Amino acid sequence: MPADQHHDPFETRLAAALRDTGDGFHADVAALTAGGEVRGRRAQLLRRTAVLGGAAGIALAGLGGALLVPGGDSSDPRRSTAAAGPAASASAAPAASFSGDDLLRSLKELLPAPGEFGQESARGTGSGLPPYARLVYDDGGGAAAVGIGLRRVEPGSREVRELTRCPDRTLVDYDDCTSSRLPDGSLLMLFQGYEYPDRREDTKWWNAELVTAEGQHVSLSEWNAPAQKGAEVSRAEPPLSMEELKEVVTAGVWRRVVDAVPDRPGPSATGTPQAPPRTAPGESVGATLAELLPDGLTVVGRGGQESEYAYLVVDDGKGRSLVQINVQPDMSDVADQLYGDAETLPDGTLVTTRKGPGEKGAAGVVMWTADTMRPDGFRVVVTAFNTGAQHQDATRDAPALTVGQLREIALSPRWQALG
Amino acid sequence: MRQRRADEYAEFAAARAGHLYRSACLLTAGDTHLAEDLVQETFGRLYVRWGRVCRVGNPAAYAQTVLTRTFLAHQRRRSSRERATDVFPDLPGSAEGDAPLRLTLMAALARLPAKDRAVIVLRYWEDRSVEQTADVLNVSSAAVRTRCVRALGRLRELLGEDLAEYSRP
Repeated sequence: MPADQHHDPFETRLAAALRDTGDGFHADVAALTAGGEVRGRRAQLLRRTAVLGGAAGIALAGLGGALLVPGGDSSDPRRSTAAAGPAASASAAPAASFSGDDLLRSLKELLPAPGEFGQESARGTGSGLPPYARLVYDDGGGAAAVGIGLRRVEPGSREVRELTRCPDRTLVDYDDCTSSRLPDGSLLMLFQGYEYPDRREDTKWWNAELVTAEGQHVSLSEWNAPAQKGAEVSRAEPPLSMEELKEVVTAGVWRRVVDAVPDRPGPSATGTPQAPPRTAPGESVGATLAELLPDGLTVVGRGGQESEYAYLVVDDGKGRSLVQINVQPDMSDVADQLYGDAETLPDGTLVTTRKGPGEKGAAGVVMWTADTMRPDGFRVVVTAFNTGAQHQDATRDAPALTVGQLREIALSPRWQALG
Repeated sequence: MRQRRADEYAEFAAARAGHLYRSACLLTAGDTHLAEDLVQETFGRLYVRWGRVCRVGNPAAYAQTVLTRTFLAHQRRRSSRERATDVFPDLPGSAEGDAPLRLTLMAALARLPAKDRAVIVLRYWEDRSVEQTADVLNVSSAAVRTRCVRALGRLRELLGEDLAEYSRP
């Protein structure tokens, strides 16, 4: 450590104060490490950590497709009896692609009992991000979140072994787990555990991980609540039994979906990010935001910080409304967390909109948001409030801009010119 | 081989969890729930990359880097918060009872923008040099110096007297 680091007495005192204060926080080491392992495993399976931008994929569809010709390859005994939906007509076409709706349809057809469906979201094979389908399924016993994620992994790799190996019980608390090799050479793990390994909530997370000999990875999860996190438990257990989970995860349609995903280069060897991205000066962000506002709004206040963030307070004659914007380059690494349920525009831009309560505890405050990310990771988020300042109580029923207007602002091509 | 790696990872995580958590508590200005979340996220990322991480030479420093970046990414995701936090975060009481200093210091840290706080934690808690701090944050050394001067100035304003009283030989 540099010896000359803290020559100012204040700095020395600050360092000592940080040490004493920091040492006063006591960690629950077991909970932290267990939680870390669970997240790591889930990251692998949900592909959260390897969202890659760019369109420089190398199409390997032909290679995968060859395995799908009926009777063609002995490694695929075509165990799926339930394979239904769009793949049937696509089986001979190596470059078949699947839309998000195709995935949802297949998932619904594979679910064991008829039921009600809601909150559907999905991504097909064309977007550059891993395909998935999610929905809330109610077989009559209570609404439950069900989700499936698909991608390609390297067969025989360490990652594959870890994906399908039951976690160490000393690290992760769970009810049951089995890991087996199926007759066709696929590895299958069936896991019955908890959304929060420390069980601070009762949400159960049941999960099937399938990795075929060809490296097709299918991850199926279900919960006993209508959402993975933050929803009340709606039933004692998730709706599908382990046997049913296995039926769904091994359906042939999913392998075809994986094969339809264009291949992409892997994460950088070091895992370190690229050179720091250029950031947009806050001032120009604010000025551009003002120019993009719909007619009829008067700007009554403005501010921001040196880069990436600006806000305006606008008034349409019915009261003040705070409008905030963040313009952030290079956010692809968190795309999956932000845009899991997003709509994908034809150019690959991800868009999600939200209406929610304010975050600062003031009475009656709502925030409406349009959150967008271009394929290169360039993110623009616009949020409007029904108050002139986040921590002040609501001054009007709704923000001065509609979600549609926020969306339009966020999608303006002018932002990229700033970066 | 696989088992050895898994054991190495488990051993590493157990050994570093306490320190990372304390760092996270400082980064979040005492928001222990968020700190816990960040550490778990950090371990999750290390778990995924462990094969590479354990070859980089200094997994502990690497973990700290991941934690800091995870924290900053979290702040950015929240979108509007690079500005100073204007609400004092929830500070759960510790068994020993919170010393006034701890409260004062956390309150002062909470008033710094996230990146400035990260600079302070890296420089004065992690004892990193300006250059090392710049590497972690992916910014220039000059930017670290600027942030550091600004953050120190603000902290001096907020708790100069408190720290003076606190100062030990």
